[in-house]
Amino acid sequence: MSSELAGMPTELLLPEIIMLVGLVALIIVPNLGDARFRIPLTSFRVPVLLGGSRFGIARDPRLPNWITIGTLLASLAAAQMGLLSPSDWSGEVGNALVVDEFSILLSNIFISVLFLCAIAATHRIPADPGAEAPTEDDDEESGARKTDALFDNRRQVDFHILLLTTGLGMSLMAKSTHLFMLFVCMELASLSSYVLVGFHKESVEGGEAGTKYFVVGSVASAIGIYGMSLLYLWNGDLSVSGLSDSWRSMDGLDPLATAGVGMMLVAFGFKVGAAPFHLAIPDAYSGASSIVAGMLATASKAMGFVALFKVMIIVSMPESGESFWFVAMAAISLITMTWGNLAALSSDNPKRVLAYSSVAHAGYMLAAVAAIGSGLAGPEAKALIVTAVLFHLSVLVVFKLGAFLVLSSLETEGGSHRMQGLNGLARRDPILAGSMFVFMLSLAGVPPFSGFLSKLLMINGIVTVSAGTGGASSIVSWATSVEPVFWLAVAVVLNSALSLFYYLRMGLVMFFEEPEGEGDLICNTPLRAFIIALSALSLAFGIGPGSEFLVDIAHGAAEALLP
Amino acid sequence: MILTILALSPIAVGALLLVLPQILPSHAGDQVRTFSRNMCMGVSLGLFAISTWAAAHSLSDLDWMAIGFGSYELENTPVDLIPYIGVSWHVGADALSLPMIWLTSLVVPISMLVEWDAKRGHLFHPLLLVMEGAMIGVFVSLDLFVFYVFWELTLIPMFFLILMWGGADRRYAAMKFFIYTFTASVIMLIGILVMYFNTGTSISDRSFDLEVILASGSTMSEGLRHIVWMLLLVGFATKMPSVPVHTWLPDAHVQAPTAGSMILAGVMLKMGAYGFLRVAVTAFPGSTVVFTPLLVALGMASLVYGAWVCMGQTNLKRMVAYSSVSHMGLIFLGIATMQPLGIAGALFMMFAHGIISPLLFAVAGAFKHHYHTLEIGSMRGIAHHSPWLSGHMMLGWMASLGLPMMAGFVAEVAVLIAFWMTFGWLVLLPALTLIITAVYYLTSMQRTIFESNDPHNGLLPETLHGEPRDITWHENAGMAILGGLTILFGILPFFFWDMMSYWSSELIDTVLVAAMESEGVKP
Repeated sequence: MSSELAGMPTELLLPEIIMLVGLVALIIVPNLGDARFRIPLTSFRVPVLLGGSRFGIARDPRLPNWITIGTLLASLAAAQMGLLSPSDWSGEVGNALVVDEFSILLSNIFISVLFLCAIAATHRIPADPGAEAPTEDDDEESGARKTDALFDNRRQVDFHILLLTTGLGMSLMAKSTHLFMLFVCMELASLSSYVLVGFHKESVEGGEAGTKYFVVGSVASAIGIYGMSLLYLWNGDLSVSGLSDSWRSMDGLDPLATAGVGMMLVAFGFKVGAAPFHLAIPDAYSGASSIVAGMLATASKAMGFVALFKVMIIVSMPESGESFWFVAMAAISLITMTWGNLAALSSDNPKRVLAYSSVAHAGYMLAAVAAIGSGLAGPEAKALIVTAVLFHLSVLVVFKLGAFLVLSSLETEGGSHRMQGLNGLARRDPILAGSMFVFMLSLAGVPPFSGFLSKLLMINGIVTVSAGTGGASSIVSWATSVEPVFWLAVAVVLNSALSLFYYLRMGLVMFFEEPEGEGDLICNTPLRAFIIALSALSLAFGIGPGSEFLVDIAHGAAEALLP
Repeated sequence: MILTILALSPIAVGALLLVLPQILPSHAGDQVRTFSRNMCMGVSLGLFAISTWAAAHSLSDLDWMAIGFGSYELENTPVDLIPYIGVSWHVGADALSLPMIWLTSLVVPISMLVEWDAKRGHLFHPLLLVMEGAMIGVFVSLDLFVFYVFWELTLIPMFFLILMWGGADRRYAAMKFFIYTFTASVIMLIGILVMYFNTGTSISDRSFDLEVILASGSTMSEGLRHIVWMLLLVGFATKMPSVPVHTWLPDAHVQAPTAGSMILAGVMLKMGAYGFLRVAVTAFPGSTVVFTPLLVALGMASLVYGAWVCMGQTNLKRMVAYSSVSHMGLIFLGIATMQPLGIAGALFMMFAHGIISPLLFAVAGAFKHHYHTLEIGSMRGIAHHSPWLSGHMMLGWMASLGLPMMAGFVAEVAVLIAFWMTFGWLVLLPALTLIITAVYYLTSMQRTIFESNDPHNGLLPETLHGEPRDITWHENAGMAILGGLTILFGILPFFFWDMMSYWSSELIDTVLVAAMESEGVKP
């Protein structure tokens, strides 16, 4: 083992190594001093025959959160170094992982999402719904005991272990150049996220959400793995470059290969939340805690798009001409964005609205991917489209996750399931309400926020692909002469206009009606600071040097991804 | 540089004054609150001085008469904002925008003055300041992306002004205002985006710069040109507002606080006409010529319907709001004439209405403030109680109905003469509508100022307890300035008038004549 590792640039995997170390610490530290070692995520306790009861610090319910935040912060710093000097941090690790600008950007997306989730999770996961909150009558000691029961240390450990394994799986998945590796990492992240969704297993919604998400997700994964096995049957090699070479030299369409890729599309379609595989998503988001829902809407979606990029654009694009999945992808994207927006319009639960909006956003990005599949895109246009999608995935972290974080503050008082929970928020907590308003405008794609820039870049890509077509002078003949892919851009524009209504409704309801609760939302200071920072970033990434910086990074990543 | 300061400094100062008290510890926050009102007034007066300097030829050596169509004074070197999609910070002013910039910098400090003692002034005055920056930004930006950003930004302070300081039905009005105008501007954005995508075949060629995007209008196919022109028209006509998309205006005006109404009527409505001339007419002169009958119909409908509805109003503010719709109709009529005189008349209408309507709303607001009612007829004989208010009301009402020697008269006469030159006897319809205008103004004036059951006391609403006061000094000062300017520009319209008529004839010569010839319309 050590001889194999020697000579391998393992330091390139520093963010993942840090997460691994943090994971080990998270398993061991809360058991220190105890005579029995608890197997994480279970109630098994293995006697180690040393020690007695746990140390005070090991019992502290805040400990797992501290470890996780520290780990993710260090890991994020390591990933950021790669972002700043990509050339020093690039290279192959073994024959299944590669660190390049693409994987560095994606790692940054994943780790920053999980870092923000960890910040938001501080004292947020009650262990036992029946546990009593401390009252003013309690003295210090009994109050602390009640708080400890409320935020059971063991339960906290489990939650944070799952956060770290999700991060580990996602971050490695972005680096993998081998489909098998890719699937294993994706399953690591997915299995962790199934448990996270169903973490509130005591409540009906939590259990239902977890079960639905797990059943649908595992069926989708099974189909994808079956598709992968067909690809293996066809090629005998699952490395992305090998598959891509065989695809290009393929004579006509091999049924095994086509079926394989088609089945993998189902698996990844579920991950990104594309219709018709999206049906479990609104239930999952509304049943899970807002933090987990935010993670699913940003990091998990980005993970699905990484897989789509690798399999659709790198592997199964022919040298020239239309790819076989173009029509399917275009149809899926149209259905996804329209369905998402229409469903969001008629929903009255803020979490479901955001879930459907996330479906709609997946539709916009799939439209951009479909434009690549049309085969009309030159290398420059391809890079532009991938840049646009990567930029969109990056800024989703800013405003989509930001919106979920605001909802998570509402959640502690039970107000995140009804639109009325947002009523009069501006009067109670002007800063959070203002930030939420910014996130809504950004989601709706109102200039100068980053949501507009990302949508405009995607539309730009699609229009560029169809540029030069449709030159006739009258409207009807012009409409028939333009390339069909152009209508995807029109669909994105019309859908964005449609989506304005529900975003504005959520944004404006905060300024109307009498608030239900009183006083500021329960929101710890770091989280509040990060929410303010995210709202500033959604402007900074939309206009001025900030946008240039991020677009350049996304462009570098796109260049690194495309052959 | 000057225009950058004009647009950005009020936004920066206003936002800072709004946010600082929230962030600072409570003691320091209270200190910020106490001087925030004076600070806002100081900044807006400074901006007024700067814009006056820029406008006055003798002061700044800028010759507004010498700049040709399509070139700008006080232009900056474009600074890249989002180079990837061709957005830059590019500002400039010409004879179309300069009067509007000056007007904005005039109306905002006056509206602050009129509501000098507004409740929660530490929020109220900074919001007005942000509003000023956003509106000036609309007029100065020569990049359609930035133009659109400022255009939307004006909605947010106005939304809060209506929502937080409005009347009893403010929620409904604020919501209606926001959703109505926002939807319209999204439709306009779609038009702008089509123009943007037409500027090049790859992303590096495309640009939002006004010059590039206007030039791209001529490369579109004819059908697409008409569609984009329509999209732009929806956006701009809603802002103006023109019948049939005017319904947000009366609600917003009736509920808005006085200063909000003054700015809304004085400047915000002008953004619609400004954008229409700046973008739609300049980029698509052909479509403008083809759709001239539509413009006439819209303008005529606004003019006649607005005046007709005014006659049935019992609410003073609602009546003034509908009179705005009516007067904005004249702008479309002026543009539709395709005569230098008519377009200059439309431009002067924008300016004159920008001075007169704030005066009208200041008067209506003072009524609400001192008599606690806006119902015409529930207060009578106020000349006895509030001589100053009656005087201002009389002046404002007379100016708005188009009395000679007042600014509104100049514009109306110019538009009507040009209309007669183009459309002949059709001019009778707008001309006769002006009689309706006189009827509703004179009736409402007679019923409030003079009519009284008891010649010594007048009839006061029962809601009013005790002795009614005349208006406060700051209301009086604000109205007096506006009234004085109305007379000044009525007698001496030359300065802005010359600039506007020069710009109009340049517009006709460079853009519209060629379009009329190619469309087969006699120029």
